[in-house]
Amino acid sequence: MSQENRDSLQCVVVTPEETVIDVAADFVAIPLFDGEVGIGLNHSPMIGRLGYGELRIGRGEDTTRHYVDGGFVQVADNQVSVLTNRAIPAEDVDGDVAAELLRSALGRKASGDEQLTIRERTQAQARAQLRMARKGLSRPN
Amino acid sequence: MANPRELDKRRKSIRNMRRITRTMELIATARFKKAMDRAAAATAYTDRITKLVADLTQAGLEVSHPLLEPRDATGHAKLLVLTGNRGFCGGFNSSLLRAGLSRWQELADQVPECSLEVSGKKGIAGFTFRDQSIAQEFTHFEDKPAFGEVEVIADRYLNDYTSGNLDRLDLVYMKYESISRQSVAVETLLPLGALVDDAGNEAGAETSTDRGTSSTLQYEFLPSPESILEEVVPTSFKVKLFKCFLDSAVSEQIARMIAMKAATENAGELIKGLSMQYNRARQGRITSELMDLIGGVEALK
Repeated sequence: MSQENRDSLQCVVVTPEETVIDVAADFVAIPLFDGEVGIGLNHSPMIGRLGYGELRIGRGEDTTRHYVDGGFVQVADNQVSVLTNRAIPAEDVDGDVAAELLRSALGRKASGDEQLTIRERTQAQARAQLRMARKGLSRPN
Repeated sequence: MANPRELDKRRKSIRNMRRITRTMELIATARFKKAMDRAAAATAYTDRITKLVADLTQAGLEVSHPLLEPRDATGHAKLLVLTGNRGFCGGFNSSLLRAGLSRWQELADQVPECSLEVSGKKGIAGFTFRDQSIAQEFTHFEDKPAFGEVEVIADRYLNDYTSGNLDRLDLVYMKYESISRQSVAVETLLPLGALVDDAGNEAGAETSTDRGTSSTLQYEFLPSPESILEEVVPTSFKVKLFKCFLDSAVSEQIARMIAMKAATENAGELIKGLSMQYNRARQGRITSELMDLIGGVEALK
């Protein structure tokens, strides 16, 4: 694990249920809490908090896209470990469900700090999913 | 003298039962393998989160979080008991129930306000039979607990804990140690004593062995170590709870497998004994009929 590895980037995405992705990659784009971060070869060690959004793993010409639902990322020795609660392949993100979620979150009455944060979180999740679903439609591949 | 027909009937019914128990054994074996795979897949996450915590602590961060610190006074306690939905698994449910009841009595003596939550129909039935009121019941956890379902429960506990409605959470479940060994575990989940299972040990081991390589890594923290820790602690609690659900599911399948295997073997032995009795009775009847015949012939002479 602590062996220096200088040739290739390894990207591992795990959820509490399973290891979703374990592939070599050229480039990984990760949604952090405040925006996207791109990670290439020999990135400096980093631990970051994830937001809700799109995770892109680029390998040659292909790019695989997943929706990740918060969590953490740890980068060290050319290994990118993404720990998240959920990772859904982009094509499985359902825009209609997300839109419905957003509508209900916007319409919900919230009192107290806790409920407010929950409402905001749900909105952020729904918006991120919606964004991904739209992107998938405009760029069929 | 036993009636051969009666014996044959019994033998047939036992044969049917053996068929059932054998099928149940096979089903349990298949489910156990699946549950085991899931549990193994989950360790990937726990390993990584343990490493993350180890790296966080190495960054010289003081690990402190409201979830980690014990409360001065325990006013509200909660006990969660994980049992199975079905029987036919040997002493699985009864030993959980026994441990759960004794802990429940202890808590009720110590803490003014306690609430009880039970997962699994067998546990619910056991506690209601003993006139204990259950605050929350879960019956939707079968052999494949999903993280999403466990997270809902975990979130509720976390909210209760932070808002002060809960000071202590105890959990009774069947801990999986190895295929041949599972034991009832009674653990206090909240406050979390240490971050992730054995995080302290592993972190300690890592610092001593890998000092030369990994501790020289200077991590960049986005946004800050404190903020990450704030997020890691609840996550690790959720994962811990989820792991307990997984352990419980695996243990239940193993218990059922073993119980059904024993039942099948037992049925085989019973059938053997009954067959012997049946044959003896049949032969006895033939002999006595023959004796009658011979006696009749003798009388005619």
